[in-house]
Order: sequence, then C-alpha cells, then structure tokens
Amino acid sequence: MAATIVHAAMFYGAVGMGVAVLFLLWGIDRIDPTAPGAYAFRPLLIPGLVLLWPFVLLRWAVLEFRH
Amino acid sequence: MSARYVPVSWNTSKLVYDALLLAAIGLYIGVYLWVAPSFQHATLPLDEYSARMAAFGTCAFFLLTLILCIGPAARLDRRFLPLLYNRRHFGVLTCAVALTHANAAFEWYFSYSPLDPYVALLAGNTSFRQLSGFPFEAFGIFGLGILLLLAATSHDFWLAFLTPRLWKALHMGLYAGYTAVVLHVALGALQTAHNPLLAVVMTLSVVLVASLHVAASRKSALPAEPEDGWIPAGPWDSIPDGRAIVVPIADAEPVAIFRYEGRLSAVTHVCAHQNGPLGEGSVVLGCITCPWHGFQYRLEDGCAPPPYTEKLATYRLKLADGMVLLDPRPNPPGTYVEPLRVA
Ligand code: FES
Repeated sequence: MAATIVHAAMFYGAVGMGVAVLFLLWGIDRIDPTAPGAYAFRPLLIPGLVLLWPFVLLRWAVLEFRH
Repeated sequence: MSARYVPVSWNTSKLVYDALLLAAIGLYIGVYLWVAPSFQHATLPLDEYSARMAAFGTCAFFLLTLILCIGPAARLDRRFLPLLYNRRHFGVLTCAVALTHANAAFEWYFSYSPLDPYVALLAGNTSFRQLSGFPFEAFGIFGLGILLLLAATSHDFWLAFLTPRLWKALHMGLYAGYTAVVLHVALGALQTAHNPLLAVVMTLSVVLVASLHVAASRKSALPAEPEDGWIPAGPWDSIPDGRAIVVPIADAEPVAIFRYEGRLSAVTHVCAHQNGPLGEGSVVLGCITCPWHGFQYRLEDGCAPPPYTEKLATYRLKLADGMVLLDPRPNPPGTYVEPLRVA
C-alpha cells in the first residue's frame, strides 16, 4: 500500500515535469500576453507546474480555446 | 505601473526586508543549536538530528504565526504595514525552514531503516484510532504540503493564471496549514516534552493569532445606512492629508477616499494588481500608491500613469456640513471625477 502511494507520487511528479517543460517552452507564450520576452521568472514556476499539472493542462486548454 | 513579470522586482527595501528576515532566522537557529546547549545541564543532550528538528521546527512555527499576524496587525495599526509589503518572501522562507525541519526528521527516523524511507514514513505509524501515539507526522506532512503549494504558486504568474479569486481562496489554505501544524506539535513534540515552555509559547501564539483576527474584523465597521443613495463617510477633516479612509459598502467593494492638497478623491479600495488594500496606502508624488507592491494610480481618474494601463473604478463625492457623502455606485474604471475641493 505505502509502496504503491510512493510509486504513484513519483509517476505524478514525472508527468508534471514533462508538462512543466512543454508549458514553459511553448504554452506560456501562447496564453499569457505578458510572458513573451520574459524568461528569468520561468524556472520559478516549475514547482507549481509539477504540483498542479492536471489543473494547468485544463486551464491551458481553456485559455488556448479562448484566444 | 505594471507590464511584464518584472513589476514586483527587487528594490532596496525588499533587499533590506529579506536580509533582516534571513539574519533573524540565522540568529534563532544559531542560538538554539550552538549557544543554548552550553547552558543546559541535561544528562542526555539532544542528538544532532533531534536538535536540528527542534530548532527548525519551532522556527517554522513562529514564522507561520508571524505571517498570520501581519495582516490583521497592519489593519489595526498602520505602523505594521511595512511588514506586509514583502509577505510573499516571508512565506517562501518559512517553507524552506519547514522543509529543513522535515528533512532532519526524515534522517533521524529512517536512516537505519532497510525500507525506502518514503515507504517507511507512510507505513511506520498507522494507529489513527488512538490519541496517544497518534501519527502526528500525518499533520506535519499535510501542513508542509500546503506550505509547498502556496510557496510554489506565490509568483504573480499564478495570480493571473488561476484568476485572483481562485488564487486568494487557495492561499486562504494557510489557515488549514497552521491548524495542521498546531496539531502536529500538540500530538507530537508536546506529548514528550519535559518542559512546559513549548506548550505555553504555543498556546500564546495561537491566542495571539486568533485575537488579532477578531480585533481586526471588529474594526472594519458595518456599512453606514445610505441617505437618498449617498453614504455618509465622516467629516472630511478626519482624513489625514495624503492618506485615505476606507468606507465599507454593503455587498460591494469598499471605497477608499483620499485627501491630497485640499481635495478629496474616491476610488475602489481594491488594487488592480493583486487586490491589495489601496486605502491603506498613501499618496506619493501625486499618485495613490498601493502598500503591497507600489502600483500607482492617479487620484482624479484612477488610471495608472502611462505607459501602464491598470484602471480603478472611481466614485462621486459631495460635501454637506463638513460631512463627506459618497455615491456607492462605481463609475466604470478610469472615469474622470473632478476632485472635491475642501480647503
Ligand atoms: S501593487 Fe500589488 S496589490 Fe497593489
């Protein structure tokens, strides 16, 4: 049981890392008009993107649709 | 002001704030770990991990208590406002201190376990049904999780991305985090403490947080009854020059009425940047300046001076027998309203 939880958390984190890389290299410039040209702050967002990646994907999709 | 993600940039006061905070944390940890033990006459001194655990754990608890006190204290007394200014860095540092505490605990408990330490942590103590020996670690992990989530979403980007409403709601989670931390200490460290000091200090801290919140909420008075649609906001000379009074409005945003060079102007109390309390700010170089991150707005139309584009809702004012009357219906953001001459 405990081992399963740990493995699930590691899997969640790994997917989150993938989402974070995609979002910071590509998505953020598309959905946030103040982001293009600003790079120094991007690594600061990684922990939040990894923690909240399912929500990030959802919100990214909504904003993408709106633009 | 605003524009890209650089508006809340480093400036001297932020550097001084951070330097003081770091120095205070360093001093606390230093005294706890290296100075205090030389005055102890214990037969069995704390091992290195336990001492680190206690030092960083208590430090994180006090920092959290302070963070929760800053908001209501600033509402009760303006002199606390400078502390509010950089509360975000305060929060991130607190998270780092709590992580160091968790790391020391982790090393102490699991360095000799053959299991993967994370698995050992989850499987170690599962006696959730009894109070003594309750797995207080669970509360600690929960509290730490909240601190991590809040620190990770503290950048301005998250405010825009999550929308201010959701972001604020998420950051209210700090209260749940604090409760978890109190339970973590009460069911953990306090059960084995030989000296009542920790229990006393912890109780005082919780009482302080609660009473400051009660006092601050009492202070934000109930909205006054409107007379023919206009709300009496008080005598104009009760507004200090260059400052504002905040008028609560039923079911709507409060309004800040500023006095500057013999004229009055009213704008929303809610900053267009991150909902900061504009009415607790002051007029600097002819512009309303938010106490949180220094965004500025013109008095007469609530617009940020160019090249910035933020706008605030403005309100109409009139004078009757020295009393300021406010029309609580907001004008569209950026609407020009001739300032009301009072002296
Ligand atoms: S300047 Fe950030 S909230 Fe007002």
